Amino acid sequence: MTRAPQLGALPLDRRQFLRAGATVIALPALEALAGPSTPAGGPRNFVAIGTYLGWHQHAFFPKQAGRDYELPPTLAPLAGLRDQFTVFSGLDHRAPNGHAAWNNFLCGMTPGSWSLDQRIADAIGQETRYPSIELTAGSGEGPQAMSFTRQGVGLPQIDRPSVLYKRLFASESDRARTDYLLASGVSALDVVLDDAKRLERSLPSRDRAKLDEYFESIRAVEKRMERQLAALDEPATTTTYKLPDYDPITPNLQIEAEGILYDLATLALESGQTRVITMFLHGLGQVFSLDGRQLVAGYHGLSHHGNDPVMIRDLIAIETAHVNCLARFLDQLARKKTPEGKTLLDDTIILLGTGMGDASRHSNANLPTLVAGGGFRHGSHVAVDPKEANAPLLGNLYITLMQRLGIEAGQFSNASRDMNEVFS
Amino acid sequence: MWRFLVGIAVLVDVLAAVRAEGPAVVPQPVRTILAETCLDCHSGDTAEAGVRLDREAIDWGDAAEVDLWRRVVEVIEDHRMPPSDAEPATQAARDTLVAFLDPPLVAHTPFGGTAPRRLSRDEYAATIRRLCQQPAFTLPVGFPPDTERHGFDNLAEGLVLSPAHLEAYAAVASVVADEIFPPPRPAPKLARWEAGPRDLVLSFSAATVHGDALRIASRSVDIMRSCTWPSRIEIRDSGTYTITVAASQFLSPTGHRFTGPMKLEVYARPLSATDRSRVSAFRLLRTIEIASESPASTSFEADLYEGETVLFRWVNAEMTHEYDELADQLEGWFRDDPRFLAAWQQAVFPSGNPGQAETSRLRGRNGWDIVARYWADPQLDLSEATMVSKKTRRLLEVCRSNSGTFEIADALCHFYHERGPALEIHRVVIEGPAQPVESPRDRARAAARRALVGERRDGQTDVDVARSMLTAFLPRAFRRPVTDGTVESFLTIATRHWDEGHSFDEGMHLLLRSVLVSPRFLYRGIEPPDAAGCCDQFDLATRLAYFLTQAPPDARLVDLATRGRLAEPGVLRAEAKRLLPKQPHEPMIRSFVGQWLDTKLLPGIMPDAKFRFDEEATALARRETERFFTEILQQNLPMKTFIDPDFTFSTIAFCQRNYGFTPSIAKNQASPLPAEELTRFQRLDIDRGGRYGGLLGQAAILMATANGVDTQPVIRGAWVLENILGMPSPPPPKNVPALTPDTQGAKTPRDLLAAHTREASCAVCHRRIDPVGFALENYDPVGRWRATWPGSGAAIDASGTLPDGTVIRSPMEFKAWLVANIDLFSNCVAEKLLTYATGRVPNYAEQREIKNIVRANREAGMGFQDLVLDLVGSRMFHAH
Repeated sequence: MTRAPQLGALPLDRRQFLRAGATVIALPALEALAGPSTPAGGPRNFVAIGTYLGWHQHAFFPKQAGRDYELPPTLAPLAGLRDQFTVFSGLDHRAPNGHAAWNNFLCGMTPGSWSLDQRIADAIGQETRYPSIELTAGSGEGPQAMSFTRQGVGLPQIDRPSVLYKRLFASESDRARTDYLLASGVSALDVVLDDAKRLERSLPSRDRAKLDEYFESIRAVEKRMERQLAALDEPATTTTYKLPDYDPITPNLQIEAEGILYDLATLALESGQTRVITMFLHGLGQVFSLDGRQLVAGYHGLSHHGNDPVMIRDLIAIETAHVNCLARFLDQLARKKTPEGKTLLDDTIILLGTGMGDASRHSNANLPTLVAGGGFRHGSHVAVDPKEANAPLLGNLYITLMQRLGIEAGQFSNASRDMNEVFS
Repeated sequence: MWRFLVGIAVLVDVLAAVRAEGPAVVPQPVRTILAETCLDCHSGDTAEAGVRLDREAIDWGDAAEVDLWRRVVEVIEDHRMPPSDAEPATQAARDTLVAFLDPPLVAHTPFGGTAPRRLSRDEYAATIRRLCQQPAFTLPVGFPPDTERHGFDNLAEGLVLSPAHLEAYAAVASVVADEIFPPPRPAPKLARWEAGPRDLVLSFSAATVHGDALRIASRSVDIMRSCTWPSRIEIRDSGTYTITVAASQFLSPTGHRFTGPMKLEVYARPLSATDRSRVSAFRLLRTIEIASESPASTSFEADLYEGETVLFRWVNAEMTHEYDELADQLEGWFRDDPRFLAAWQQAVFPSGNPGQAETSRLRGRNGWDIVARYWADPQLDLSEATMVSKKTRRLLEVCRSNSGTFEIADALCHFYHERGPALEIHRVVIEGPAQPVESPRDRARAAARRALVGERRDGQTDVDVARSMLTAFLPRAFRRPVTDGTVESFLTIATRHWDEGHSFDEGMHLLLRSVLVSPRFLYRGIEPPDAAGCCDQFDLATRLAYFLTQAPPDARLVDLATRGRLAEPGVLRAEAKRLLPKQPHEPMIRSFVGQWLDTKLLPGIMPDAKFRFDEEATALARRETERFFTEILQQNLPMKTFIDPDFTFSTIAFCQRNYGFTPSIAKNQASPLPAEELTRFQRLDIDRGGRYGGLLGQAAILMATANGVDTQPVIRGAWVLENILGMPSPPPPKNVPALTPDTQGAKTPRDLLAAHTREASCAVCHRRIDPVGFALENYDPVGRWRATWPGSGAAIDASGTLPDGTVIRSPMEFKAWLVANIDLFSNCVAEKLLTYATGRVPNYAEQREIKNIVRANREAGMGFQDLVLDLVGSRMFHAH
């Protein structure tokens, strides 16, 4: 059992105390949280992208395994980056089928459990301004979360580029407001805590233990606030990037939103404001036309194509547009250099996948998966036969990705070995 | 009341006697029974499960002993011990053992023991709404979930507070404070937006672009089927704007005729509203008449609020998506044009078999392209294009069903887009604001502020205003009176802030934020108990209010608590009666029924397509059970009504479709009942003793205990034991693999589960679980009756032996047994209610007390409402 913190004795200006103390008190704790640092030369960032409606398998999986595969139609925009990514077929988490289990994508066999990105953020994201950033291009019904904390809390996603832009490149007045809210809230806490302690003294010991949860939580939240306040004191990150004066959030603007969010994600990684980003590509009611061409049905309608060739054609067109956005993103990362002189692409692992193997049948087996960047030896199609004894699971690949980021991971969901051999 | 006092007197006597004696000697007759029935396994150092019962005396002062002997009574009473492979104990032996153990167990288990608990998610949201005058408040996405314990999300042991919660509370506090004391905003800037056809939303088949115009065709009330709106315009400042629309009629010789002006409705819609909204959710700004085939501009002024854009609907279009109307139109069209009919027949029945409608590929323009291709095909087969053919009849049925209409209508839209009549929109311009206006949200903010802060009276300083706000607000926030000292100490939050140079509003903003993260607000039951171990008047008011309304106590409860009168038996009972939920949609019904009977799981269950059970049916199933519960509560009906009633709440259509019977009011009708009557949710008479009716025959419960695909007797059996009979089973051992039903193969579930009864260690629980599960096997995963098992096709054998040895052969016999032993069910419901109300699982003594209350209730011929009120009046409800 722990005691309540002695906060009543603090000087009146708590904020001054916290900032002065931050370097002394908070840093050792933060280092402990950060876990082992990235091995020399290993990537530092992780980006996961998931489509709600899966990927039409015939157009995503290459027909040949190995290095000399013929580029399938959906991946055509990546032609110039062939040695920068690896395609996987035959991997999944053996999770239940159906839309409801969609979030097995990053969670593994048990939807809603600690997701890969959050595991990574908990290990390597604690020193950055934002431990992780969750984005969605398009919004609607269906899953509202792709990322889940260790406690199983689904994290809300940002759908408006203007909101993300503000978080990354807050104007002076926005920063002042955030700073003010944090600092004033902390400064008023001593009155609340004094009152709470008076209350605690009157309680029987068992009930006091319950109230300790409250005091412990206060301490943890204060630490986080210290970190945010410290980040606010650093000079503002500025950018010349120009956002449109509207937010592309209506169904027809999904691809436009996606492109802008990738641009901002690049800037977020480049400026070191976060190391972990997820991007959800929604699918209900999204995309009815591409480059002015009207599709024969909406994205979700197309995914229930019933093997109608025209519908499949338009479904692949949307999926290719997604990959086109991805190609532009990878290209941007490849053109940016880190202070150490390597490309931002080599410094970032990008995982593209989904929780749905075949939306037409609501099957969550054989999840289309692609890994880019991260300095891996890329260039092949790894075709796994799931029927084979000891066939690797998608979780095996995730273990490899975590290890590459310097995280000592031996287990992910139902997987307990790595897949390092495919990149060697 | 007298019963209650006598109970205390007896209890005090027993306690005194036990304390005086020290360890109590186990009398010889009891030792003989223990030796004969238990000690073969439960003695010495090698005792089974570490349970040693070879004792000469029991030290009742030792909590571990109390717990051990409590478990002994439990397993003996519900026949889990001795196990099936041992010599059974006689009823007389069981009675003697229990008679010896019961009094000291009751004496050593004091009532009460709920730890302080934070508000659950639902309670917190309701509290913010009421306390801060935010009727529209909902929890933000990502707000941490509660942990379920013993089937409920509001138990003290599950309501742990984590840093994530505190952050979420602080974030909500900030949002609420922004609503009441909004930070100053920069002055609005004049703006001009222009949208052409390519900047307008094409949703489903609502719109298509043709040259420099966008065409819409349907008048459906579902905006995503009929409407369009600019996707790159979102008003930032509420104000009066000038809206200009250029539009025209589109007609063609190959399309339908249209006479008179087209009426274009212009609405204001929040850009972030769901596209599944109906047009009635939005504010109609103006109706414009479009009379010409060449574009004409109309300008008008209208108020638009922050976050809004405009939405267009052609209200007098010929085309609609409403299914009966659409089907009537198509029927006329088919009669006039057999080729058109034949083309649709080909498109909807591609295999040629009218039993196989295929509508999913008809979604959108793809569907119209298919129909149009057939329509133009000179080889088109017209042999069945008559109004009397089977294909035509089936086609019209598909048009009228809610599974095919949208696809067909979405395809048909394109006929109008290509040939007319359609309404064309060429350009939309929005300019302004000419002047700012107060949005409804601004007005709500001002009203909330007045309610919280009040009006400043002449001569009042900032400190006076803040003090009077705190004096009124803190007792409401903390749900009890506060001392002047507390008011003054919270006041320093604002005064210090003002001293640092911040504005009045900033000080109040900070004050409100701080109160909303205080543990006195976030927790309830946080005050120490009184000398008798009971909640004080204010905790009692809080407990009663959250139990029955899921919200903080209202003014009347607070008043009674303040006057010290709430705990008076007559007063408390009257207040409980006043607060009892009256309507099925009240939070207590939804929350308690949802958690007790697991109907909260329904939205997450997707019944397999073969059951033809859509979201509407799922919602109806849930409503049946909630309405049924409310009726029994409100009408104070006997407890057996839950199991075997002579009424149900449903629709005639659902009874016919899902339950396979026609309610008596729909029988022997001279003419068929109108559709509204068939789908009207109502109270329907049914026969007692039948397949349906009662909790165990309701679709909601049969769904919640299956997975949408198949049924598993073990899961249903364990569920019924826990939630209907109040006999929870321990979790299955870890090393046992789950039995997966062999739906294709020849084995019936009964063959598969036979393994359970062969192994003694399985049989201890499964001879209780499996028979109850098999008794419900006649109900499929959505509650329809079935006579054979899927897959094997073998006849379902629902027979089994119940824990007390009764043999049953059908679910109806199981229900009859339950009615004959109704106290088992009543005890179970009473325990669940008390668990939900007090935030703790009733202990041994409380379970005994519940049994007494339940028995007295039945013997006096009283009903469910009386039982609930008796529980509220019991000392268990008062105990801290």
